Amino acid sequence: MVNENLVKDVVKEPYKYGFVTDIETEKIAKGLNEDIIRLISQKKEEPKFLLDFRLKAFKKWQKMKEPDWAGLGYKQIDYQDIIYYSAPKQKEKISSLDEVDPKLLETFDKLGIPLTEQKKLTNVAVDAVFDSVSIATTFREELAEHGVIFCSISEAVKHHSDLIEKYLGTVVPPSDNYFAALNSAVFSDGSFVYIPKGVNCPMDLSSYFRINSGDSGQFERTLIIAEESSSVSYLEGCTAPMFDTNTLHAAVVELIALDDASIKYSTVQNWYAGDEEGIGGIFNFVTKRGKCLGKRSKISWSQVETGSAITWKYPSCLLLGEESVGEFYSVALTNNLQQADTGTKMIHIGPKTKSTIVSKGISAGNSINSYRGLVKMGTKATGSRNYSQCDSMLIGDQASANTFPYIKSQQPNSEIEHEASTCRISEDQLFYLQSRGIEFEEAVSMMVSGFCRDVFNQLPMEFAAEADKLLALKLEGSVG
Amino acid sequence: MEIIEKIKTNKSNDNLTEIQKICLDKLESSPLPSPKSEQWRLSNKSKFSNFLNYSVNEKDPKFDTPFPNTSQSTIRLVIGDNCQINLIEENYSIKQLNEDELIKYIKEQISYFDQNENWSDLLNLSLNCTKNILGLKINGSAIPPIEIFSHASSNSLNAKTLVIFLEKNCDIDLLQVNLGKDNSSLSQSTFFCLEENSSVNHGVVSYGENKSNLLNSLNVIQQNNSEYNLGSLHFKFNYARFEIRIKQSEGNAKTNIKGMQITKKDEQISTFTKIDFHGPNGFLDQINKSLADDKSHAIFEGSIIVPKIAQKTDASQLSRNLLLSNLAQIDTKPQLEIIADDVKCKHGATISQLNEEELFYMRTRGITLKEASKLQLSSYFQEIISFIPISKERWDLLDKLLNEN
Repeated sequence: MVNENLVKDVVKEPYKYGFVTDIETEKIAKGLNEDIIRLISQKKEEPKFLLDFRLKAFKKWQKMKEPDWAGLGYKQIDYQDIIYYSAPKQKEKISSLDEVDPKLLETFDKLGIPLTEQKKLTNVAVDAVFDSVSIATTFREELAEHGVIFCSISEAVKHHSDLIEKYLGTVVPPSDNYFAALNSAVFSDGSFVYIPKGVNCPMDLSSYFRINSGDSGQFERTLIIAEESSSVSYLEGCTAPMFDTNTLHAAVVELIALDDASIKYSTVQNWYAGDEEGIGGIFNFVTKRGKCLGKRSKISWSQVETGSAITWKYPSCLLLGEESVGEFYSVALTNNLQQADTGTKMIHIGPKTKSTIVSKGISAGNSINSYRGLVKMGTKATGSRNYSQCDSMLIGDQASANTFPYIKSQQPNSEIEHEASTCRISEDQLFYLQSRGIEFEEAVSMMVSGFCRDVFNQLPMEFAAEADKLLALKLEGSVG
Repeated sequence: MEIIEKIKTNKSNDNLTEIQKICLDKLESSPLPSPKSEQWRLSNKSKFSNFLNYSVNEKDPKFDTPFPNTSQSTIRLVIGDNCQINLIEENYSIKQLNEDELIKYIKEQISYFDQNENWSDLLNLSLNCTKNILGLKINGSAIPPIEIFSHASSNSLNAKTLVIFLEKNCDIDLLQVNLGKDNSSLSQSTFFCLEENSSVNHGVVSYGENKSNLLNSLNVIQQNNSEYNLGSLHFKFNYARFEIRIKQSEGNAKTNIKGMQITKKDEQISTFTKIDFHGPNGFLDQINKSLADDKSHAIFEGSIIVPKIAQKTDASQLSRNLLLSNLAQIDTKPQLEIIADDVKCKHGATISQLNEEELFYMRTRGITLKEASKLQLSSYFQEIISFIPISKERWDLLDKLLNEN
């Protein structure tokens, strides 16, 4: 018999990114109204079309209702009690990393994202976002040589407003859902990536999001455009300090892939999840969607979700182009009183489109972990295929694992396959491993790792190592 | 609200039975099911209002459909006016429940009802006067097979209710046949209670004619060591909903379900199942098949709920669907909600068309495309039909289905 308490002990591990950076910040007043939106827009020196976009979204948001279909239990969010813009005070214009406040650099250093040494250490360009603003973006010159634009979205608004005007809100329109409308109205910063025709981005691009302030929400917006025959791999990481209050994070990510382009978007989400009693933690309401516009284009989402008190996230693919491909690989781990409602939507519109979904959920403690997905074959999606696999692992008899796949087909010449299963850490396997001299914790670690292998294999190298480590931290105590 | 008015105007308030009054009260707070609820989201609104459009008919509808001959050993009952049964044999007894027993049981059931989930039952019970409710208490062994009919008459809305208590250690084969008529609506609610060590092979065959509608709700409570096997078939309805709710109240029970729905023209047929495990060692094996042709729409939603108490549950659910036309639609949503950790639960879903390789193989052997498709379909149907107990041969179900397609 597995010692339940032992497993539970293994599952407990304090959050190590919970520190607060003591830095002078510029915040605007709490609350949300048209004046606040105008103020944010003014602070960011935005052109008129963007202010109009924000105000229109705000009007739509006011008419919308907060969705409750996911059945997530959380205390009501007071949208007037949130600061919608918070930025660390620093010099107006920064020309190089040396001018960035050392405290900020130190913060990212502590998080394992050394912005200064970045250039020397790895081949990954980083855009670091602290509360509402982007602090620094590395490797910009090198990327520019290839014609790749990688900068914060605020800079893109200033320097590439034509691209922003053309693409912003085309994948996730402001009226898409409640949180997308809110984001469209108040979005602060995020990353912008543009890969020109025929360019394979020479290095992985990465954004690191850090919430530092307890009373401000983070509303970042990311837009990635891959022109014909280009490709890019983008990584995203996030952490936040430990506060007793809940912080709202409502992001929107839009991806656009044209003919033969490919975008790989990987996330390791490790926002603060609240304590064992469920106090504090981030409310993570994210809308992520990719549009495979071109023929043979490909969008691949891979995610490791371990943080947040509430996760509400369904990275999706609209497969419009002929023979376009959508992929979703996800590991979601919930513990204590965390609730994760995550999954994907694969909308097959064009002919011969393909999608693959692999979702692994691990629920421990009193948490709720749900997979909610939609696979839809439109009337023109002849010869399309989908394969979905959702596996859940339960640790302890208080956690819950749910699977809600919606499958809809209007095209007889298409095939959809879905399968789901539930398992626990098998006593036989544990016994076997232990009888071979493997410590209990390591055996659990090996089995969880094995359970998630299909997804980890899809993560880029840098992230695969981080994800393994993260799960190890969350689940396996000191054993890595 | 219209439907409530219709029931009330049909008879004065004094003539309403106690159960009708309770159900009408409940319906008044939600006169129609919420289209936002998962159970009713995909329901075709105009077809549903067409269901409610007919005038309520409490009289015994005229039965003009030719029945297949019954074999001597089969007991045949038709729910309606003169349905009387009181059989006390050496080995078994089939008794009719008296009114008090019926009312007590139904009232208890109503107290657990959810407005949206049990809307069909609420409607059924508020439409129904006692003469259209058949309550049976069955015990003993070597019980002959039972056939029970519910039918509607043209241009009217009929409601029939069946309550069956299966006492301890009792085994039966039961075939329920629901027949729709031209432009008719039939509301059928069935309540089954299986006591310890009892087992039932239950067949539900529902088929209609032009523009017939059906709301068919089945509520089963299974006690310790009981076994419930259901084979169901729904076809030829303009609009039909089949709702199955099974509760293994103490665990240690077995449930096998094999169901099929076939839609053509612009029909919409949906199946909803909810299997609740309220104790350990429960078992479920479920397969639901749909076939959608022309402009029709087939829907399946199945949920399996495994709370903490239901350790060692072994449940599997499979939804297999054939989509045969460019204009037809299939929606399927198998769901798992699990808290107990020591369980084996899985589900699967597929949507495809007839297997081309198999068709090609048969054609290379000189079988025409039409014949080859028929052969494939017959094997697809056969798995379900063979699970329906008694009289299936006499009803020529396979021929009926194949000739339909």
